[in-house]
Amino acid sequence: MTLTPGAFVRTGLLVLLAVIIQVAGIQSIPILGGTVDITPLFVAAVAIYAGSIPGAIVGFATGLLLDLAIGQTLGLSSLVLTALGYGVGRYRDMRDPSHGLLPIPVAAAATAGYYAAVAAVSFMLEIGATVSLLVLREAVITVLLNVAIALPFFALIRRILRPVLAVDPLQRMRRRQGSEPTATGPLGLRGLEVNR
Amino acid sequence: MYDKQVVRRRRAVLAVLVGLSIIMLTGYFGESTGGPLHRFQGGVQTILSPIEAGASRAFSPIRNLAGWFGDVFDAKGQNKDLKKQLAATRSELVAAQAAARDDAGLRKQLGMNQKLGIGQTDAVQARVILKSPTAWYSTVQIDVGRGDGVKVNQPVVTGDGLVGKITSVNGGTSTVTLITDSSSSVSAMVDNGASGQVQPSIGDPNDMRLQYIKGPAIKVGQTVTTAGWASGKLESIFPRGIPIGRISKVSSNELKLYKQAHITPFADFKTLDQVEVITTRLKQPTNPGSAGP
Repeated sequence: MTLTPGAFVRTGLLVLLAVIIQVAGIQSIPILGGTVDITPLFVAAVAIYAGSIPGAIVGFATGLLLDLAIGQTLGLSSLVLTALGYGVGRYRDMRDPSHGLLPIPVAAAATAGYYAAVAAVSFMLEIGATVSLLVLREAVITVLLNVAIALPFFALIRRILRPVLAVDPLQRMRRRQGSEPTATGPLGLRGLEVNR
Repeated sequence: MYDKQVVRRRRAVLAVLVGLSIIMLTGYFGESTGGPLHRFQGGVQTILSPIEAGASRAFSPIRNLAGWFGDVFDAKGQNKDLKKQLAATRSELVAAQAAARDDAGLRKQLGMNQKLGIGQTDAVQARVILKSPTAWYSTVQIDVGRGDGVKVNQPVVTGDGLVGKITSVNGGTSTVTLITDSSSSVSAMVDNGASGQVQPSIGDPNDMRLQYIKGPAIKVGQTVTTAGWASGKLESIFPRGIPIGRISKVSSNELKLYKQAHITPFADFKTLDQVEVITTRLKQPTNPGSAGP
């Protein structure tokens, strides 16, 4: 991500919008016994398009705003979402993924990881009450719902962030596909390909 | 050289952010509810509340539409003949159903107020504007605050029964910690005279536990209400007689080993919309033989 004032404003507004939409809107619309949770999706999307440092910073800001807005333990969501943003960003940095269906596994892993980490940190902090298995059911439904909206959601975030991205993974993929040979050359030997 | 710098910077950013989060977690736990972090949180909530209230209002047609879809799925068998007519009047129906739900809720609330002796000036009506997204922290934010006479620890009810208590108050909004929150514990009485503590089961708001049961044997179907007393000389924040739920399962093993039974709460925590904050301490009979903490 190019660190310009415009990038900060754009990302900051996105963070505010994601948290407000989640807690004031989406959270009250139950679907099949669960709800869509766009906070881990949003952090994962930023991390996959912008890298590990922006991912971690956006994760921290989103988590902090979430904790402040709903009045829950300060630092809990920011800790988990920072790790999530960094983790997804590192995956992007190291593996350079650019497949068109990438948002689906990333959304599933990010949502499941977020829920597992929130549960783990909550257990470590203060939970003394009985825990129902329905927590697991709700988490699974949320993962499935997030997977269902992953492609359009990631596309939307990419579209909004594209002007401030240093490198767009999808464009890089298309460029590579266009310039790289699609098959071996006329003799069937590598190195004698005809570039299209 | 460049790579090393990048790696170092990346690790430094991660360390700073994780460190900040841990410092906030530790500080938040260590301080009282009047501490600087809690005050900062309250300040941010006050700033955000108009935006949140606006967003909540903007989303209400979508919520109503989602509710409408649920209703249609439930009544699918009976609605075949009316489908064409329904499509034409869909938008009117959405508005009408929302109004009917509000009306039913308010009527129930009125009945509950009459039963508990709550006068018009003893309570304020509120609407839920935010819900916590995790199953671990059951809190909601309502659109009344300090300006409406709301204070910390005031009980919150719906027409069905007990919902929770106020845990933080800002100018125009308040946070309600529901009785399904992991930190909640309510002293309760069964209608046959047995007593105990109602505690939540995280993730399943429809299955709560009545623990530390004392007194006569309890049976499935009996009603559980607030006891109105707490431990020792301490007074409960919940007035006596607010319905909590119905005993749904009594297992002899659980009863013997853990002194606990299962309760299905009357309040529907998944679709919480209108609530009432009891702002006046109600008169209630003393109970010297209190058994619960």
